[in-house]
Amino acid sequence: MKTWMKTGLGVALSALALSLPASADDEKIIVGFATAQSGFMQAYDKPAEDAARIRIDEINKAGGLLGKQIEIVAADTKTDRAEGAKAGLEVLDKGADLVVVSCDYDFGAPAALAAEGAGKVSFFLCAESVKAGIQGVGPHSFSASVLAAVQGATMAEWAYTKRNARNFYRLLDTWTEYNKGICDGFDWMLPRLKDAKLVGEDTFKNDDASIAAQITRIKSLPQEPDAIMLCTMMPGAVSAVKQIRAAGIKAPILNGSGMSGSYWLSAVPDLSGFIVPEQGSVHGDDPNPKVTEFNATYKAVTGGDPSSQYVYPGYVMIDVWAKAVERAKTTDADAVVAELEKMKDEPTLFGPRTFTSELHHQNRGRYLITEITNGKPKVIDEWTISEAIPVDYLASK
Amino acid sequence: MQRSQTILQRTLSTPVILIAILAIVALAALIVGTGPFNQTVIEIFIRIVLVVGLYVFIGNSGVISFGHIGFTCLGAYMTAWLTILPAMKKSKLKGLPDIILNAKLHYGWGLLAATIFAGLCAYIIGKVLMRLSGIAASIATFAVLAVIIQVYSNWDSVTGAQSSVVGIPIVRTVWPYFACAVLVVIVAYSYSISRSGLALRSARDEAIAASASGVDITRERLIAFVISGAMMGLGGALYAHSVGVVTPDTFYLNLTFICLSMLVVGGMNSLSGAVLGVVILSSIIQLLRWFEKGVDFGGSIVALPLGVQEIAIGVVMIVILMFRPSGLTRNKELSWPHWPFKQLPAGRSRAPTG
Repeated sequence: MKTWMKTGLGVALSALALSLPASADDEKIIVGFATAQSGFMQAYDKPAEDAARIRIDEINKAGGLLGKQIEIVAADTKTDRAEGAKAGLEVLDKGADLVVVSCDYDFGAPAALAAEGAGKVSFFLCAESVKAGIQGVGPHSFSASVLAAVQGATMAEWAYTKRNARNFYRLLDTWTEYNKGICDGFDWMLPRLKDAKLVGEDTFKNDDASIAAQITRIKSLPQEPDAIMLCTMMPGAVSAVKQIRAAGIKAPILNGSGMSGSYWLSAVPDLSGFIVPEQGSVHGDDPNPKVTEFNATYKAVTGGDPSSQYVYPGYVMIDVWAKAVERAKTTDADAVVAELEKMKDEPTLFGPRTFTSELHHQNRGRYLITEITNGKPKVIDEWTISEAIPVDYLASK
Repeated sequence: MQRSQTILQRTLSTPVILIAILAIVALAALIVGTGPFNQTVIEIFIRIVLVVGLYVFIGNSGVISFGHIGFTCLGAYMTAWLTILPAMKKSKLKGLPDIILNAKLHYGWGLLAATIFAGLCAYIIGKVLMRLSGIAASIATFAVLAVIIQVYSNWDSVTGAQSSVVGIPIVRTVWPYFACAVLVVIVAYSYSISRSGLALRSARDEAIAASASGVDITRERLIAFVISGAMMGLGGALYAHSVGVVTPDTFYLNLTFICLSMLVVGGMNSLSGAVLGVVILSSIIQLLRWFEKGVDFGGSIVALPLGVQEIAIGVVMIVILMFRPSGLTRNKELSWPHWPFKQLPAGRSRAPTG
């Protein structure tokens, strides 16, 4: 009868013994990764985290930051929000000066809030919601990627200017905030394009087996639209694209960066006229040779090519943060934030970055335009939207 | 034992021992003093509130409910609505009534409002559902959960649909959570020895005999349902303040099943089972996580592959249930001087004869 009580006590005591507090070290600068090492977010976090580690290695090899070596500590969020808060607290306890959190706003926020509570700088690896920053966490939080809305706006303006698209069709997958974000950016840009109009719009859900009804409505338009803005992501995107092309609709399909990469192309053989914005090219044809060099380093370190553009924000993150620390000559959060907020079109390998006291995210950004023709992706252009998307518009969405 | 002793005198040691266990857990957080351990202890207290909440209904009525986590969702959003800064609410949650939209209350009021709101909803839902029994009741509660989650996942202007509701004040000290866990244990204990609690327990064990003796089963079940619903609401509000973010999908099947398994492993029909189930399973989970991270044994680091924890906890539960089909406590209560176990009156096997 009493054995289990003893076991319980034993468990509790060993739990106590195992959790010794760690102390911060003044000789080192510590970057804490409170990211998913297991669960479905791991697939998103790991590539960007590897890229961040590559930049940290480069800095360490070049003599470190402020003459100190950067050390990495990590805690697993297990793709769980409550665990995320714990992971954030854990890396803070280990003395993290920068807390790196999950790619997605929902899963990264608890750890970022923990960092904010401790007055430390936090960076989302690649979240593309406006909430990943001041609006959803606080004044010490940033995101390393570009807002989803910028992707939608970029595609609209580019197609209007370079492909003379005037009649747009908008097809939204209501599954995630990210998808809605792309279409929000498209909606903002469209009225600014003279003569451009929306000839129809529709929604679907990522896991819909068939979008035949939506396709019928596109087919029944008096004239095929000049471009279809498809706001969706994996895994449903592949099926949607396949169905649209199978129905004989030839109009160019514009999408967000969520469809970057070539891993899915074998599922839609000989796809043509599919266009996505990318921060850098994973296909080996980036106009900047340094990106191709980075891809080679990434392959040497991880054993595989970058699968999509979502590898790159991890590298950008450490890059801009380290620059801000150098300029502030300290890792003190407020000083680093002040330096980050001074960055205006700060050049990085993957496009310029701007942070202001209003927005710790990119409401404008340079994108490579990649088109898939006969199943082969190729960078065909570069585009920066003519006007930044206002913060008020983003926050109201 | 003397016949003249009241139930309270005979069973008082149970809540005292349980509260002492909670106090030890809270002290452990204080002694260790690290952020993540503190957060783990907070999580244990929240789970205790939730599992004890489940116990009040399931343990006393014998009807398994799959829907209680719905009340947790109601509570979490209620405190979020009341405690978030009005400026943030006006941009994201425009559909809230003005009185809530302009409010910025202390989290204590948030907890209270969440408890009352969840209790009220439990009353309305219970009024209909408590006429059912057995599997029909269980499935109906599950349907309620599905309805609540669907409404909260889609009512954009009020709940923000599937996007996270942020800006909830975060409370990182252990004491409010400890206090709530203690409160819930006291209420659950008082209920189970109250007239209504005893009537419901008798109905659980012998429905026909109980109603023949004048027990209005529907009414007693409703009382238990409201109390447990209110507790679940409190648990949800505590969760919201511990993490700072709420989304509807947090309060769905995963949480439902982890709470139910903690209750079943502990011993479904006893309050001690509810508390010990949480404490022991949480400790094992924590221990496995440490092993996943790697533990230093005299220079050599032993680490389990990531993800083993989820598998191991499943195996541990199977093993416990193999040897103790009615849970670790065998549905009995911790008590003194009959350490460690004794039955509450109207228990499954035999009523105390004094």
